[in-house]
Amino acid sequence: MKKLTVFGLLMAWMIIPAMAQKKIEFREFTLDNGLHVILHQDNSTPIVNTSVLYHVGSKNENPERTGFAHFFEHLMFEGSENIERGQYMNIIQGRGGTLNAFTSNDITFYYQTVPSNELELTLYMESERMLHSKVDETGVETQREVVKEEKRQSYDNRPYGSILIETLKRAYSEHPYQWAPIGSLDHLNAATIEEFQDFYKQFYVPNNATLVVAGDIDYAQAESWVREYFSEIPRGSGEIYRPNVTEPKKTEEIRDVIYDNIQIPAVIQAYNLPPRNHPDSYALSMLSTYLTGGNSSLMTKELVDKQQKALAVAAIPLELEDGGIFIMYGITNMGVAPEDLESEIDKLIAQVQSEGISDRDFEKLQNIIENNIVSGNSSVSGVAQNLAEAHVIFGDTNYINQVMDYYSKVTQEDIKRVANEYLNLDGRVVLYYLPKPQETTE
Amino acid sequence: MKKLAILLFAALLVGNAWAQVDRSELPASGPAPEINIGDAEMFTLENGLKVILVTNDKLPRVAFSLVLDRDPLMEGDKAGLTGFVGQMMTSGTEGRTKDQIDEEIDFIGASLSASSTSIFGSSLKKHQGKLLELMTDVLYNPSFPEEELEKLRKQTLTGLATTKDDPNAISSRLASAMVYGKDHPYGEVETEETIKNISVEDVKSYYETFFKPNIAYLTIVGDMELNEAKKITEEYFADWQAGDVPTFTYEKPSRTNETVVGLVDRSSSVQTVINVTQPVELKVGDEDYISSRLLNQILGGGSSARLFMNLREDKGYTYGAYSSISPDRLIGRFNASGSVRTEVTDSAVVEFLYEINKIVEEGVTAEELEKAKANLSGSFGRSLESPSTIASFALNIERYGLPKDYYKNYLQELNSYTVSDINQTAKELIDPSKLYITAVGNGSEIQEKLAQFGEVMLYDNMGFPAKELTADADMTAEKVISNYLEAIGGKDKAQTIETAKFTMNAEVMGTVLTMAMTYDANGRYAQKTSVGGNVMQSSVILKDSGKISVQGQSMELTGAQLEEAKINSYLIPEAWISDLGYSLSLDGLKDVDGTPAYKVVISAPSGAKLINYYDQSTGLKIKNENPASGDTFYSDYQEKNGVLIPMTWTIKSPMIPVPLEAKVAEVTINEELTESDFQ
Repeated sequence: MKKLTVFGLLMAWMIIPAMAQKKIEFREFTLDNGLHVILHQDNSTPIVNTSVLYHVGSKNENPERTGFAHFFEHLMFEGSENIERGQYMNIIQGRGGTLNAFTSNDITFYYQTVPSNELELTLYMESERMLHSKVDETGVETQREVVKEEKRQSYDNRPYGSILIETLKRAYSEHPYQWAPIGSLDHLNAATIEEFQDFYKQFYVPNNATLVVAGDIDYAQAESWVREYFSEIPRGSGEIYRPNVTEPKKTEEIRDVIYDNIQIPAVIQAYNLPPRNHPDSYALSMLSTYLTGGNSSLMTKELVDKQQKALAVAAIPLELEDGGIFIMYGITNMGVAPEDLESEIDKLIAQVQSEGISDRDFEKLQNIIENNIVSGNSSVSGVAQNLAEAHVIFGDTNYINQVMDYYSKVTQEDIKRVANEYLNLDGRVVLYYLPKPQETTE
Repeated sequence: MKKLAILLFAALLVGNAWAQVDRSELPASGPAPEINIGDAEMFTLENGLKVILVTNDKLPRVAFSLVLDRDPLMEGDKAGLTGFVGQMMTSGTEGRTKDQIDEEIDFIGASLSASSTSIFGSSLKKHQGKLLELMTDVLYNPSFPEEELEKLRKQTLTGLATTKDDPNAISSRLASAMVYGKDHPYGEVETEETIKNISVEDVKSYYETFFKPNIAYLTIVGDMELNEAKKITEEYFADWQAGDVPTFTYEKPSRTNETVVGLVDRSSSVQTVINVTQPVELKVGDEDYISSRLLNQILGGGSSARLFMNLREDKGYTYGAYSSISPDRLIGRFNASGSVRTEVTDSAVVEFLYEINKIVEEGVTAEELEKAKANLSGSFGRSLESPSTIASFALNIERYGLPKDYYKNYLQELNSYTVSDINQTAKELIDPSKLYITAVGNGSEIQEKLAQFGEVMLYDNMGFPAKELTADADMTAEKVISNYLEAIGGKDKAQTIETAKFTMNAEVMGTVLTMAMTYDANGRYAQKTSVGGNVMQSSVILKDSGKISVQGQSMELTGAQLEEAKINSYLIPEAWISDLGYSLSLDGLKDVDGTPAYKVVISAPSGAKLINYYDQSTGLKIKNENPASGDTFYSDYQEKNGVLIPMTWTIKSPMIPVPLEAKVAEVTINEELTESDFQ
């Protein structure tokens, strides 16, 4: 299964759902047990993607048990009452398919792409996972080791691997977004088997899941198989925990230095964002493209090409259901002090805040965004994920066909406005990543 | 009829939602889906340009890919030239600077790139006019600016310097040199010399010779109908002038008569990069082509294949071991490879050979074949989702003269192979008695152990046969050291240098790095690295203590770290060997970037070690090897106070992206030092 990484996660959120001209057709229905089902037919290639979105991420965790949602992403490949331990992946791969999963602060997403004559198999596999996955000592022990190794590889030993963890920790004081999906190994070690079983019973229930089948399908056949395999799964009996916390607005900058196993210093800035479905999200996404998207973008041209103060710069809106963060990072060029790079970054932000963007740049942005949106739906697995998120996060599956409309409502003035409103220097988090003294890293 | 039955059945089920399914068995696969591979249209312009069109209006995008079909080239004393052509073409035209091209491409949200045999552009349908204008501007009017060539040359030289010490790059050069020979396009290598030979004229002449429509294919994929394709190709490509393009033939590389071993000694290695390889006569579309893919899938095609299961899962020798059988028009190649711990190098080769022998002699099992078929069919099916796959099929059919329905029948063909077909292919393609085994690793640890597999031949890091190294018969470590001291002016002279201060400058990507070093023969040492007056890193070693600081954070050195630092803190430790109680040992004659040099290990009583290399002919120290912090190469010796001192220090370390060439700007010798020099 996919290893959750900072950049992987950021990338996953960067894929903008929906498209401009061509409408995505779909059918949807909800089973009696609450499972929402979306079908999308595209017969152009004889493959089919089956995805399940569970509306549980790290924000639904007990603060004393962080890392549970991501841990389940691993545990859910252990097998079920009918699938032998360790066989889940072999079964799919042995029939010519691929499968993967990821966990974010908001959701856990499982997906498989197979030749279209294996659709029934994927529905069987996903229904086994939802009905009676193995949640036992052996599985928990095995996956604890795997997650420990993953944490070591992807966070502790990876240069800049802890950026997301360190930034979230400071960007939120109240909201459970303050911990990253990887969570705490101590919490996982301390948890009893009953706690894992309770988590499964609370969140891995049809009324907390959205199933998408996209690709070379026959609508009637697909629907009948879905009903056959999923109807018998009982609705969850308890209440599903969703935090109702409003993060207070920060009024003071938080500034820190992190010593990491890196060679080159980096500057990180993070600004709190509105909820993902807020209208300003579109302008903020365009702003990030203006700042760092492409060879001729403002910061890339100025800081990487001209001044050569940075090796790379990127602005990424990490859009989350209850309000994410706008992360900007710059990796310094050899011999450039981070203070120096930071002040140049701030100057460029101030420039956008006071002058806004030119007509030509605005037109360029619209062109780039349009290209991204159109390209975001080029694979059935991309479409499946976008459909699921449209339903769960935006409350309307047809949102997938409206994204471009929302972007076209953004004006030149909006981009200047959101730069002033959200890139607020007084409430931001600034981190310097500096190399640990060499000898200690040996 | 069947479909109707399914529908009826489905309707029944819908009405009966609570029907219990049998969960004890996995659902069976449905009938294999019919793979409809979209048709490609094809037409040829008068100038000979062949156009392939794959219409796909699922998304309002279009991509143009222009590919030149020329014979592989021997570049000889200008090896590396073709690597320059593509970037030079997008670096400016008669009417546009590089910045203008970048800006205009970004403006329409498009992408544009080029290589020596292709130009690729893609955009939304509505911007295709602008894209074609830019793409053909690059195709017809490149201006080849001199300064861009110099920039590229510099980047290429830096890149080359990095690959000289990269074990994987060395391994790939070595394997190519052995399989193809240096007189074959696939075996020749670019060197500093050949890169320096390339001029703008060469790039221009390459462009004028090979960018001709009569050897080109233009594939168009996306939202476009045939009529429009004809219209726009006529508009943008009809004026492109045809011309004669030279063709080339090469002697076919033959197999070795018996298995031999090629070794590059990289003494700092802790892992050995192993390749087991041989040339294979195999082209795309050959009778054995599809079965070769099944065969490879079973032998080393992934994490459930035999090599991986044996070398990683069972033995734990490596993180991964894989194989490939690559078809090619000139000559194909079989290759199995992995990086293994030094100590298990020979055991790993034994396992590679065991698996290769076993699959040739005993063949595959029915179960393995079924899995391989499912795996390859699945990835074939998924690849069809991208319209560019269809275009590449059409291009292959043309270029390799395949039957028109080759890819339509591909899956059927793939699934028709039997165990005995695969076993026959294995015997036909692979000859386990005629392999090249290549190893890049610590020679003194592995050379003897490799001899059991065949004659061991030594190569240098560029894949040329290593110079014959003959150590002087009675050489000892003590003699190497005394020769060195003699060469720099004598031990007595060297001992007169009590203190020395060095200032060195190095340029990294346009930034000047300054290093200041202070040596004191009485066991004190200080070092500072700064940029523009800001100290980035510093260290101080005193008799019984040491401290290192990086960007303001400092830490004390203790124990082994301190001992290690101390032995590295003398300017000419060789002059004080007996005073410091150091011992010496000679570790043979080695090749240091083409220069034969004696390797001497100097050990302190504490166990700390210095590893130095001394030029066999001049006696001078040319390299210090440090597995932890990297290697330093000394050159440009000049006399200071009667002693020869290197004025250029080249530092190569896995922790810095490019070799750092530091030049001594200032030396002061025997100046009185104060406490403040060591703070």
